[in-house]
Amino acid sequence: MMEAFQEFISFFRLTEPNVRVVFWGSLILCASSGLVGTFTFLRKRSLIGDVISHSVLPGICLAFLIGNEKNLIVLITGASITGWISTYLIDVITAKSKIKTDTAIALVLSVFFGAGILLLTKIQHSGYGSQSGLDSFIFGSAAAMNFSDVKLFGIFGSLMISIVLIFYRGFLLISFDEDYAGAIGFPIRFLKFLLSVITVITVAMGVQSVGVVLMSALLITPAATARFWTHRVPLLAGLAMVFAGVSGILGSAISYTKAGMPTGPWIVVVVSFFAFFSVAFGSQKGIFPKWIRRRVNNKRILGENILKVFYKLSEGTESGYSLQELISSTPVKEADLMNGLRILQKNDLIGKANDKWFLSESGFREAKSVVRKHRLWELYLSKYMNLKADHVHDDAEGIEHVITAEIEKELEKLLDYPTVDPHDSEIPYE
Amino acid sequence: MIKEIKEPVIEVHNLTVVYDRKPAIWNIDFTLPKGQIIGVMGPNGSGKSTLLKAIMGVVNANTGWVKVAGEDIEGVRKRVSYVPQRQSVDWDFPATVWDVVAMGRFALKGVFKKLNADDRSVIEESLKKVNMYTFANRQISQLSGGQQQRAFLARALAQEADIYLMDEPFAGVDASTEEAIVQLLKQMKKEGKTLLVVHHDLHTAQNYFEWLVLLNTRLVASGPLTEVFDTALLEDTYGGTLTTLTKVAELLDKNDMPMRHK
Ligand SMILES: Nc1ncnc2c1ncn2[C@@H]1O[C@H](COP(=O)(O)OP(=O)(O)OP(=O)(O)O)[C@@H](O)[C@H]1O
Ligand SMILES: [Mg+2]
Repeated sequence: MMEAFQEFISFFRLTEPNVRVVFWGSLILCASSGLVGTFTFLRKRSLIGDVISHSVLPGICLAFLIGNEKNLIVLITGASITGWISTYLIDVITAKSKIKTDTAIALVLSVFFGAGILLLTKIQHSGYGSQSGLDSFIFGSAAAMNFSDVKLFGIFGSLMISIVLIFYRGFLLISFDEDYAGAIGFPIRFLKFLLSVITVITVAMGVQSVGVVLMSALLITPAATARFWTHRVPLLAGLAMVFAGVSGILGSAISYTKAGMPTGPWIVVVVSFFAFFSVAFGSQKGIFPKWIRRRVNNKRILGENILKVFYKLSEGTESGYSLQELISSTPVKEADLMNGLRILQKNDLIGKANDKWFLSESGFREAKSVVRKHRLWELYLSKYMNLKADHVHDDAEGIEHVITAEIEKELEKLLDYPTVDPHDSEIPYE
Repeated sequence: MIKEIKEPVIEVHNLTVVYDRKPAIWNIDFTLPKGQIIGVMGPNGSGKSTLLKAIMGVVNANTGWVKVAGEDIEGVRKRVSYVPQRQSVDWDFPATVWDVVAMGRFALKGVFKKLNADDRSVIEESLKKVNMYTFANRQISQLSGGQQQRAFLARALAQEADIYLMDEPFAGVDASTEEAIVQLLKQMKKEGKTLLVVHHDLHTAQNYFEWLVLLNTRLVASGPLTEVFDTALLEDTYGGTLTTLTKVAELLDKNDMPMRHK
């Protein structure tokens, strides 16, 4: 275990030339698939990504058989061709027959992948023997890259990135609203074609480090993960690149600790970790931040409601109340009340003496403010929304916690600094 | 009742659009006057959206053609602004209101040219016209239906076109927003714009439109409101008299019979 960890750390020293190759290779491959995959994700074509990645396998095998050697350019070309044919077939099948997209996807994927496995088995049992190394394309092997491969990936990767940057606006618009893109005269056929070409090429390259089985995860997951942190596409694409790139490097580093361990599964494990983390903590749609926000709000509302109880009990006079008195004058549950009192006490808004709770000076000010907002809102509703006086209370119960100081000022001005609410209760000012 | 116009702003000739063998619009032929607010009405699935898309050239016509301002749409695209049906996009898409409205400028800038300060001020203006400027930075997933609709309208306005094709701009908006949009449309008409508006409510149609196109896969009527807004024609549009046509369409679909081809 310790040893594996040391290996893992030593990967990042990048002293060995072949480690450097793996590092840069994985970074380029994975980052570009994160970027290109952003549009696959935005266009909701995740399943198509899966089809492409499985369908490159027969292309790789055929290219190997025809070229008779493991030449990367030839393999990528072969992979891109069958990958491309698979997406084309899906489009044709869904357009020309009554077969639905999901069925067409399942059909094409299984046929192509089956053919790929068949060819692979044939190659391994033939004269080339197992040293063909083609099986590393199933689950990926970053270690199998050499320096000239990485150079090639570098060139292709930067090409993909430049294409996305150049055609960004077009890709964005066909992802959001294809009809509109067509209506304003964008060349949607060309844009769609270009996007699928770069997707196919990105996948064909990426299988080197991730493998055909898991490649679609690397295409889609980074963007889906980034969605939990932002609602702007440029940032989404950038984050997706970072998530994918970091996963690529970490996954390669982990698989580096043991000879012959495939890279793809580790990369996907890391990227999935990012995904889970983001589902839980993502600032935009994460579960935890939402929960925190709600809790903070609930606490504030509870506190303000309790302060109001004090205020109403006294309507201005300062005196203490026992817990029993408080309980009987509010619908708040006892447990919540206790909890709320504790928080208020901690914030010095209320104090306790001789088993009686009383408002502190700042608590009194705070309570007045809530009551003021409540009554101002009631007045506003009855004046401007023509609601009857007996209909405004419930609404104000909620809104009083939302009104900010600015809105409060606006209301005061609008209502000309009123002194009483629709029920003729006094509106307390500072 | 089909009234023809000389020098029409939009001319639809013999237009048929077929999806998977099933005709969505069938042999439509009409002309529309310039500078009016024109309603397009018909029941669900009657081909209203398809008609708008065919005019924009977003779907291909199987037969017939469309001319806008006397030209093929490709020549006048910049002058024609299209508002798709609100439900046609995913509002969970990562974008702000500003991002969406900016798309209106892409119509003039194309795929590559950068937006400049002028573009930005037009976007700002458009947002203000639909009362959405304060929402410019709001993410679109947090908009109400009416706000989404107004964002779409602002996008169309940002294109500064002469002819507007709007697919159900009143769907899902409340009464006050609807009133605000109507005022905006009337203002645009005053500026000489032509507005083609898909609409669903028969009651308000009388107050909004000067010209009406009634559609139910085939064209039922096209003419000045006073002449078209007639019980028999409306019944023809919304009533059951079209069951035969629907049946034939379904047969075509079911038996894989060829519809006319180009
Ligand atoms: N992309 C499509 N593929 C296949 N059929 C379609 C497609 N779009 C529309 N249709 C069919 O064409 C017919 C006309 O559709 P269209 O959307 O034009 O109607 P509509 O009048 O706009 O309806 P609505 O009031 O519901 O918006 C419908 O039967 C619909 O199912
Ligand atoms: Mg429609």
